[in-house]
Amino acid sequence: MFRHTRLRLITLALLAIGAVLYGAFTGYFGLEVLTEIAILAILVLSLDLVAGFGGMVSLCHGALMGTGAYAFAMLASDLGLSPAAAMAGAIGLTGAVAALIGAICARSHGIYFIMATLAFSQMGYSLVFESPWFGGDDGLSDVPRPDLSAIGLDLNDPRTFTFWCLAALALAYLVAAQVLRSGMGRSMVGLMHNEKRLRALGLTAWRVKAVAFGISGAIAGLAGVLAAQQTQYISPGLMAWTVSGEALVVVILGGLGTLVGPLVGALLFVMLRHEVSAFTPYWHAVVGMILVAVVMSRANGVYGWIEHRLSVRGAHGKPIEPEVENA
Amino acid sequence: MLETRNLDKSFGAIHVTRNVALKLEKGERRVILGPNGAGKTTLFNQLVGEIQPSSGSIHLAGEDVTRLSVADRARRGLSRSYQKNTLFDGLTVWENLGLAAAIALGKGTGLMRDPLHDPEVIETVKEVAALVNLGRSLHAPVAAVSYGVRRQLEVGIALATRPKVLLMDEPTSGVGPEMSRGFHRLLKNLPRDLTVLIIEHDMDLAFDVADTITVLNYGEVVFDGLPEAARNSALLKEIYLGSWEDA
Repeated sequence: MFRHTRLRLITLALLAIGAVLYGAFTGYFGLEVLTEIAILAILVLSLDLVAGFGGMVSLCHGALMGTGAYAFAMLASDLGLSPAAAMAGAIGLTGAVAALIGAICARSHGIYFIMATLAFSQMGYSLVFESPWFGGDDGLSDVPRPDLSAIGLDLNDPRTFTFWCLAALALAYLVAAQVLRSGMGRSMVGLMHNEKRLRALGLTAWRVKAVAFGISGAIAGLAGVLAAQQTQYISPGLMAWTVSGEALVVVILGGLGTLVGPLVGALLFVMLRHEVSAFTPYWHAVVGMILVAVVMSRANGVYGWIEHRLSVRGAHGKPIEPEVENA
Repeated sequence: MLETRNLDKSFGAIHVTRNVALKLEKGERRVILGPNGAGKTTLFNQLVGEIQPSSGSIHLAGEDVTRLSVADRARRGLSRSYQKNTLFDGLTVWENLGLAAAIALGKGTGLMRDPLHDPEVIETVKEVAALVNLGRSLHAPVAAVSYGVRRQLEVGIALATRPKVLLMDEPTSGVGPEMSRGFHRLLKNLPRDLTVLIIEHDMDLAFDVADTITVLNYGEVVFDGLPEAARNSALLKEIYLGSWEDA
């Protein structure tokens, strides 16, 4: 079950303070990197919600992110909705699509679930790549940003936009944490541990999976909306299965099933990409080696390793990680 | 409360249960006996809906539930414990019981409240924990508790749903004499209006708690009656029980 341990709360506080301070004082490039981290963090948060706590390892979250981006662009540009309404519509639509995928894939498990979600991902990619409705391989441009001038905010200002994305990340985290503490979240965790027993207790498993996948998809859709707003351009590449694969790498790198770990993973991944690519174009190889080391160490990602080390040390001395939430 | 009519299950040419007809009254305690392979667990699996019978029907409180799903039958008050522990290994004992209670109370799918902090769920968990003697292990992870505690939890999860009919598949399987006596007390302390169907090999326990005894052999009911009649049945001695009086 999900718990906000003291370590996790401290980590969240440090990440939040670090992000706010960095965002307040850094230059344009730094803001771009921070925005990139925030958007990736929202995506991996959505994936960890279902993969880490529900055992639903998905390879379609990139496509769901793309669905959010395309839906936002088309609702705002083609249907002329206000960007705020288009955002709500895109997130809701992505959630509905994800719930449908979740309901269809609910009876499959493990590798079959992964393959089923990959199939949906590829169908989505093919659709936007081939169809002129979605701009084909040219994608869609002139994606607008919401107008928040009524509250004195200009999202065309890079710093304001970065904080917009950070606020969205905070909201996504709160939603994910709330879901995990709710009956739905508890049942989803139970399904991961023993689906047969939960059915025998009276739970309709596919419905729980569909709703959980839908909520996760809506969060991924939010990441897509922000990605579209960031570059104000979207292309089918956003829906490629490699985006989903990358998100899975980040979740595993950070710590599957910790909710906080993937945030750390997103930070590490984007920093590595920028720092290592300055020295070599083969930065993926470096990330790959780190991932192999993490997996081979049998630690649950970088953050899982830190949690484990500190809990072991705590076990031999003063407890350092008491549970804030009492079962 | 629970009735089967001509329940038949075959896998190809092999008949696992044949024309099984049972009728349990409300509050009845019935023990099912039978040698290995007699079809006892297969009968349970049909009763809860984990496998569909080839023919015949199952009725719960007068309703035909034969075609209902496992979850639908559970929501109507049919609960079971398994011969092999079927727990939520990554969770604590409290969370195991709380999850079961929350689902039974219809609080397992909400998005706003934490059911494990719900007063009704907490009350149920405390009651069940006291009943199955889990008070000292409540906050331990299931993976860290002993086999005996896991057996108690197996039954506790089934009880946390506050069922109308409880099916227990060899609750004392693999436990020592002391723990077996604990189960004995547990069965005696169950609410009298709860209908209980037990598969059990512990003869002392079976004859002490049973109001009625059903014996299966090769998937057929070969005896259905009072414990005393079962004790004196030559047929049962021959096919299964042997000299249980010496046990």
